[in-house]
Amino acid sequence: MTAGTAGERTAPTPEPVPVPGPPLPADRPTRPARRREARAGLLFVAPMLLLFAVFRFGPTIGAAFLSLTDYRLSGDWRFIGAENYARLLQDDLFWSSLGVTALYTLFFVPLTVGLSLGTALLLHRAVWLRGFFRGVFFLPYVTSIVLAAVIWKWIYDVEDGLLNAALGVLSLGPVDFLGDERLVLPSIAATSAWKGFGYSMLILLAGLQSIPREVTEAAVIDGATGWRRLRWVTLPLLRPVLFFVLVIEAIGAFQVFDAMYVMTAGGPVRASYSLVYLLYDTGFKFFDFGYASALGLVLFLVVLVFSLIQRRLIGRDE
Amino acid sequence: MTTGSKRAITPLALLAAASLLAGCGGDGGAGTNDVTVWMYPVIADPEVNSAYWAQIEKDFEKAHPGTTVTVEQQPWENRDEKLATAFGSGKGPDVVLLNPDQVPQYLASGAIGPVDKAVEGVKDKFLPNALTALTHDGKLYAVPIYHTVTTTLYNKKLLDRAGITEPPATWDEVKAAAPKLKKAGVATLDYSASNEATLNLNFYPLLWQAGGKVFSEDGKKAAFNGPEGVAALTFLTDLYKAGAVPRTALTNTNIFADHPMGKQQVAMGFSSTLADADLARKAWGAENVVVGKPLGDVKQVAFGVPGGLGLNADSRNTAGAEKFLAFMTEPARIQSLGKASGFLSPRTDVTVPSDAPYAKRFQEALPFAYPGEPSPVARQLMSLIAPEIQAALTGRKSPKEALDAAAARADDLLARQR
Repeated sequence: MTAGTAGERTAPTPEPVPVPGPPLPADRPTRPARRREARAGLLFVAPMLLLFAVFRFGPTIGAAFLSLTDYRLSGDWRFIGAENYARLLQDDLFWSSLGVTALYTLFFVPLTVGLSLGTALLLHRAVWLRGFFRGVFFLPYVTSIVLAAVIWKWIYDVEDGLLNAALGVLSLGPVDFLGDERLVLPSIAATSAWKGFGYSMLILLAGLQSIPREVTEAAVIDGATGWRRLRWVTLPLLRPVLFFVLVIEAIGAFQVFDAMYVMTAGGPVRASYSLVYLLYDTGFKFFDFGYASALGLVLFLVVLVFSLIQRRLIGRDE
Repeated sequence: MTTGSKRAITPLALLAAASLLAGCGGDGGAGTNDVTVWMYPVIADPEVNSAYWAQIEKDFEKAHPGTTVTVEQQPWENRDEKLATAFGSGKGPDVVLLNPDQVPQYLASGAIGPVDKAVEGVKDKFLPNALTALTHDGKLYAVPIYHTVTTTLYNKKLLDRAGITEPPATWDEVKAAAPKLKKAGVATLDYSASNEATLNLNFYPLLWQAGGKVFSEDGKKAAFNGPEGVAALTFLTDLYKAGAVPRTALTNTNIFADHPMGKQQVAMGFSSTLADADLARKAWGAENVVVGKPLGDVKQVAFGVPGGLGLNADSRNTAGAEKFLAFMTEPARIQSLGKASGFLSPRTDVTVPSDAPYAKRFQEALPFAYPGEPSPVARQLMSLIAPEIQAALTGRKSPKEALDAAAARADDLLARQR
C-alpha cells in the first residue's frame, strides 16, 4: 500500500536474489534510501492516521469501555462488567432488530449488486453517451438519503402515490408498501438500492474494464457468445471485485438507519426497526449510553466478521 | 470517578452547590454578565421569529444595563437529544424553553434549578394549571411565557358532502359520522401513528377523553392499559379498520400540508393548532373551516401546554438569568409573544390581543387544555407505546394485548430509573 509496508515485507530478504516470476524493479533503492522512503511515507499518511486515531479509533475504544458501565446523562456511572451484554441477550428488541437488519441485508445486497452489475455491464458495452449514462446512474448516489427517502415515501404512498396510481391503471392494488409488515423491508431496500447502486456500479465498471481484451477475444474466437461468455469468462474474472462489492454493500446494509427513520420510523410494529435504530433510540431517546455502546460493539463485531471474510476472499484471489 | 461512590457524591454535590447558590442570595456564581437562552421556533415564520428575539435582546439590555443576553435559535427536531447532550457536557444554556413533560427528566439529572424567585409576587397571576404542570415538590421549575392549546378542526366541505350538518363533537358522533363520510369517499378522523409522532397529540388525548391516565398516581407504574385505555384504543382501531382513519396513519406525523388534512382526505382533526387552522383557511377556503371545542367522551379534553423558561442549575449568571425570566413574564412580553406566535396567554390578567380569525375559538378551548402527566420518562415511554398502537391498528394484537405489552415494557423502563 505504501512504501513503508512494501519495505517491511521485503525486509527479511534484503539482497535481491534471482527468482523466477515477476521481474524486480530495475534499480532497487539501497537500504538507507528505503528507510528514508519509509519515513517519508509515514509522514504522508500521518495526518490521516492522526484523524483516524482521534475520530475513529479513540471513540471505538471509548465506546467499548462505556459498554461496561451504566453511563447515563447525569454523568454518574458505575462499572458493571458484562451486565449490558447479559441484558442484551435477553432483550427481545435486540433480537428482533437484529433479525430485521439481517432480513434487510438479504433484500438489499442482491438488489444493489444485481442492479450495479447490470448497469455496469450495459455501460461497459455502450459506446454511445456512456459518460452521460454513467453520470445519470451515479446521480442518486450523491443525493441525500433523506431527500431520496422523502421522495420514495411519496412514490409508495398508499392513498395517492405514483406506484399505486400505476397499479391502479392495471386495476391492481392499492398496495400499502410501507404499511405492510411483509412489504416494508423490500420497499425500503429498493429505495436504498436505487440511491446507492451507483458506487458499486463504478467499481464493477472499473473491474470490467480491467479484464484483458485478449481473454474475451479468445472466447469469441472459440465461439462463446452472449450469456456463455458472461457466465464463464467475464464473471469469474470479475470475482474479486464482485466479492469486494458484496462485502461493502453488506456492511452498509448492516448499518441501515436513515431511510427507515424517514420513511417508516421503524414501523409498522417495528418491522423496519433496525439495529442502528435501536442503538439510536437507546442512546439518544433513553439516554442509556452504556447499553447503547454495547449494541454498537455488537454491530462492530458483525461488521468486523464481514471485513475479515472480505480480506480472506480477496487475499485468496490475489 | 471510577467507583460507584460517584453515584452518591453527585446528588450530594449538587445539593451542596444548590444550597451554596441559595445562600449567595441571588449573586449566583457571578462568573459572567452574559445570559445565553435557547429558544425554539415558537413563532413559525423564521424571519419574524429571529426579528422578534433580536428585539427582545435589545429591549432587555436597555432595561437591565450591564447584562447581555444572547437568544440562540434551536430547531424543534431532536430537541431533547441536543439539550440533554449540552447539559450532560456542561455546555447547557443559562435559560431554556421547556415544556412540562421535559421538566422531570432534567430535574432528575440535576440540570435545572427552581425559578420561584423570578416570579415572586406575581405567581397568583398565572393560570393555575400552567403552574401546576411546571411545579415539582412545591418548587416551580419554569416560568410560563405562553400557553398552547389544540382543538377540533373540521372540513365543512367534506362534512357537507356526506350530509353531516352538525360537526361530530363526541366519540359517538364520530362513530356515527364515519360510514356517511366513507360513502362520500373520505376518512373521518385524522390520526398520526408513526413511531416518531408525539402521543400528546394522538393517543393520549383519546386516553384522557376516556377518563384514563398514562401513569399510576405515584408515577411508578403504567396505567394506560386500564379499561379507559382499552376503550380509547378500541375506538381508534375500529375507526381505522372501517377506513375512517386515513390509511397513511402508520407513517404520518402531525403535519398539515401534504398529509390527509391538507389534502382534504379526512374530515376532522382532534389535535389541531391555530397554525393548522390558518393553513386550512388558505388550503380549503375560509368558508370550509370550522374550529370546534375539544373532542369529548367521558371527559372533554385536548392537549395544551404552557411553554416555560427554565434555569440551568449550573448557570454562571443566575441573577441575570432570573432577571430575564421576570422580563419575559411581564404583560408587555406575554402580549407581544402571543401576538407573534399565535399562542395564548399563561396569565389570567393578560389576554393576547389577536386579529387571527380563529384566535377566539382557541381561547375558548383553553379551559379544556391538559398538559399531560409529568414523568422523567414521558418522552421515552412514547417510543414504547407507539409500536404497540401500530400492532393494534394492523390487527396483529387486540387493543388490550397491545396496551398490556406496552405496559410491561413501560414498567420495566420505570423500574430501571434511578
